[in-house]
Amino acid sequence: MSVILMSMLIGLGVALFGFTLQTTIGGINRKVVGRMQKRYGPKWYQEFLDIFKALSKRAISHGWIYDFGVIMAVGGITATAMFMPITDSLVAFAGYDNFFIFVYLLAVGMLGMAMSASGSGNPLASIGVMRALTQMLAYEVPFMVVVITIIKVSGTSSLTGIMEFQQANGWFALSLPIGFGVAFLSLLGMLGKKPFETYIAPSEIASGPMVEYGGKQLGLLFVMHEIATFIEVSLFVHLFLGGASNIIEFLAKYFIVYTVANLISNLNGRFKIDQVVVFFYKWPLALAVLQAIWVLWR
Amino acid sequence: MFSIELVVLSTLLAGVLAYIVSIKLPKLGSYLTILASLAVFSVLAYFGFNNNLDAEVNLIPQFVLFKTSMFGLYFAIIVSFIFFMVSFFNPYFIKDYKYPAAYNLFYLMALAGTIGVFFASNFITLFIFFEIVVWTSMFLIPLGKKRKPTVTYFVFSTVGSFAMLYAVMFTFSITGSFDLAAISVLSGKSALLVYILLAVAGFAKLGAYPFYVWLPKVLGKSPDPVSAVFSGGIEKLGAFIAFMAILRISPASIYLEAVGMYLQNYVIAIFGAITIVVGTLQAIRQDDAKKLLAYSSASNGGYILVAIAMSSSISLTGAMYHILAHALASTAAFLAIAVVHYRTKTTKISELGGMIHHMPLTYMVYLMAIISMAGIPPMGGFISKWLIFQAVINKQMIIVAVATFFGSIGSFLYVFRPLAALFLGQKLPKYKGVKEAPFLMMIPLIILTLGSFYIGVIPNQVIDFSNKVIAEFGFGPLLMNEFGIQGANGTLSAPIIASVFGLGVVVIAIIFFILPKSRKVGLMDTYTSGEFIYTEELLHYSADFYAPFERLYPAKPLISKVYAMIKEKVNELGRFFKYWFFTNKPEVTVLWIVLILTLLVWGDIL
Amino acid sequence: MENKKLTQAQMDTKWTELGDFFRRKSIWMLMYCTGCCAIELPQAMTSAYDMERLGMGPMATPRQADVLLITGYLSLKTLRRLVYTYEQMSEPKYVVAFGPCVINGGIYHDSHAVLNRLDHYLPIDVYISGCMPNPESVMNGFTDLMDLIKNKTAVGWKNYRDNNEWYKKNQMDALGEVFVHDEFHE
Repeated sequence: MSVILMSMLIGLGVALFGFTLQTTIGGINRKVVGRMQKRYGPKWYQEFLDIFKALSKRAISHGWIYDFGVIMAVGGITATAMFMPITDSLVAFAGYDNFFIFVYLLAVGMLGMAMSASGSGNPLASIGVMRALTQMLAYEVPFMVVVITIIKVSGTSSLTGIMEFQQANGWFALSLPIGFGVAFLSLLGMLGKKPFETYIAPSEIASGPMVEYGGKQLGLLFVMHEIATFIEVSLFVHLFLGGASNIIEFLAKYFIVYTVANLISNLNGRFKIDQVVVFFYKWPLALAVLQAIWVLWR
Repeated sequence: MFSIELVVLSTLLAGVLAYIVSIKLPKLGSYLTILASLAVFSVLAYFGFNNNLDAEVNLIPQFVLFKTSMFGLYFAIIVSFIFFMVSFFNPYFIKDYKYPAAYNLFYLMALAGTIGVFFASNFITLFIFFEIVVWTSMFLIPLGKKRKPTVTYFVFSTVGSFAMLYAVMFTFSITGSFDLAAISVLSGKSALLVYILLAVAGFAKLGAYPFYVWLPKVLGKSPDPVSAVFSGGIEKLGAFIAFMAILRISPASIYLEAVGMYLQNYVIAIFGAITIVVGTLQAIRQDDAKKLLAYSSASNGGYILVAIAMSSSISLTGAMYHILAHALASTAAFLAIAVVHYRTKTTKISELGGMIHHMPLTYMVYLMAIISMAGIPPMGGFISKWLIFQAVINKQMIIVAVATFFGSIGSFLYVFRPLAALFLGQKLPKYKGVKEAPFLMMIPLIILTLGSFYIGVIPNQVIDFSNKVIAEFGFGPLLMNEFGIQGANGTLSAPIIASVFGLGVVVIAIIFFILPKSRKVGLMDTYTSGEFIYTEELLHYSADFYAPFERLYPAKPLISKVYAMIKEKVNELGRFFKYWFFTNKPEVTVLWIVLILTLLVWGDIL
Repeated sequence: MENKKLTQAQMDTKWTELGDFFRRKSIWMLMYCTGCCAIELPQAMTSAYDMERLGMGPMATPRQADVLLITGYLSLKTLRRLVYTYEQMSEPKYVVAFGPCVINGGIYHDSHAVLNRLDHYLPIDVYISGCMPNPESVMNGFTDLMDLIKNKTAVGWKNYRDNNEWYKKNQMDALGEVFVHDEFHE
């Protein structure tokens, strides 16, 4: 029993670490983008200021489901982050860091947020949720096909297992280059980076699901967004870039993946939501399936 | 010891009793259905778990033979539980029916029929009880005041029944036995034929592609309790038949190296995959909440088929688990919608809104049900989907995997639709004063939700049971340790996931409540870009929810064109016979008279 | 140590004071581009002056924003929307007004459709002068607002709450009806 309690404490530590890491790197990336646009850019800790300011502000509430959804969303995401390994030895629940947990526990958080947003009674929020779900349907399927290839090749769905496999046999980014590309596109979709930020679209649907939030609910949703980003980017690092054997390596890989995604994002416009679906179901899915057939059925 | 025949007979008797009582007092009769189904469920569960069910007693003539098996027991307990749960709704809906007495009779007869099917030991018994279910459930459907779905259901059931009858007779002609075990003896072409026929029967009952068309029509239009019973209970008969066909018969055919299974199993899996995709796509565009759930039932039937077709310990456990998880979740969802229907008299999503403010408990029940249906932890559906995914990956069936993932993510889309537009959103003024579900309706809703939650957190008992079931088919048990289920490429620990999720929510809730308290505002005080809007309907986004996505695929499934063509041909044939044989047109009559006279007069020469 | 529980108002003050520390370095603005001064905002936001280095950024809805920017003259029709938007913002909230039109009507002072003094209807924390104001003065105005927050003198939102009757009366006098009760009116 005490083992589990210890694991849970470590897990909470991982979630906190993930939040801090992603908030810092998010801030640095705002600076990077600023420099790219010949601006000075904000301070590296700007994101922390934003979040704490929002948390301290007195907000409005649209009823119990509005609050409950936020709690469920952030709680679900925190729980997901608790399973995430950071390096191949630093993992809260060793042996239980199953890939599917991340996909489906992440969905609890998304469901909570969607519920809360729809509960606010704003039609723009519902439109945002509709777009977010449709986009999820688009990017998730090619990503999953790539991942089952990885799971089948490495023979395990545990993230640490996949890491160890790569450290012995080379990165999947190199041995499955097509899948790497497809998964990177899916990563952009997951993170809501720019060709696929249709569900936020501030100038079109007034930031979609977030339209009614302010104050602590908005702050908590920012926390959720940071932790979700941490989960998604770490998943990508662990699945394709060989994970990490120490924390410096993890930080370096994490920073590179997130920054590249962010830079690509800043060069793009925005797709319409049906274009997103068509985009993902055309080439990425076909390539992912072809690669899976080539690798597995050979 | 308790005899199965006694259970079946007394259920039928209780049906007759309920019928007699309901002629004068329909409501009392419907309470009898609750008691009777409770008795059936508790007897089956109690004596079944203690291995005390007796199949030897012969009260009915010899050709009706029963046997006990874990396989039958698993199904019988689930289905009788679903019948018991749904029966709580009968008293509230009974007054809407044209023939309340008949409803109570058929409800219990359908229950007796399903139990008879699950415990049948020979094909004659199986067929008789199968037909009892078909006929009784057929008469339950038009009580929702729509006749057409009944015809659809009858047509598709007939296809299944005839396929089964033919399979039974064919087996008899070869092996000379009606025993269920006889089908395992078959070999070669005849085995393949029986396999296909029984699969067709299972498909038709389960509502798999290409027979899924009846599900939305029937479940969408029949009375609410009947829809729930169909989705959670009667539909599972199809899974039962499919299990039997796929696992008991092994016709020799091509072995596919790449996926490690026989061709016919792979074809079944592909059909299951098509069912998943078509069901999901159609569910996404439904406006009627019941039809939406009906398509979701079809899609989940596809998962069960895929899992059965893969025939490994993991996949079969997944199938068994999915049958249970889906029965609980789907029934809960249907019943939650039934509460809404009962209170507001409509199930159209675009007409409803803000029901959460009137019925928060029903909302929570629906929420938990959809969490399970979408396969999200910590509910039962997650474990079954995880098991099925494990098996799909293990068998490296890529095409099927695409379909299962599509269905799994797509289910978020369609289950969220009633949540967002029907329960959440603006509080529409036309439903002012709508109340929460009555107490008696609450009972099954809460029990089903807790059950769904329990099997999602502690899967051990169910997996123990299903290990015994799959052992009857000759598969090894699924390994479990204290915390987790051992899959093909990883372990899953449901209790840890649930407790971590609980911990996450508690931590965040504490933070949430420490932070400054929010100011309550109404739903209409919402961001409108500075526009003044006072009409709730204008701020409620519910019609054409997924319009941008729906634009990408045709509105009607392609198979419905085929059915329309068949219908046209049958109509033509009918018109032909009607014109020539059942007509009052003088020229045809004269022609017949002339022909007959000709035959009479010159018949001997001709 | 007093054993008494803090009242809601005292709690709110404590949280506001705590929040002010972060708020003055992270101001989210809602741009209500009523008039021509709005054209000065893009320069202030983009590479040349880079508002983001002060921690400021645009937000989509009043719920999320801390400061409401009123950029230029204010017609009768606009004021209704402005009041509605302002009241949807969560406290603490600030208003920054651009140009002379919001002070005395500017070049539109004799127009029948333009209101002359905005501070009769909404509390203004910072005025930015210039017709139109330079980006430099826009940036200067924002740093002024930050100083005001730091010195706890940006109290417009408290004034609006305390003198609500006076503001409401002025709004009523000017508009007749603030919240128009017919969505297809006008």
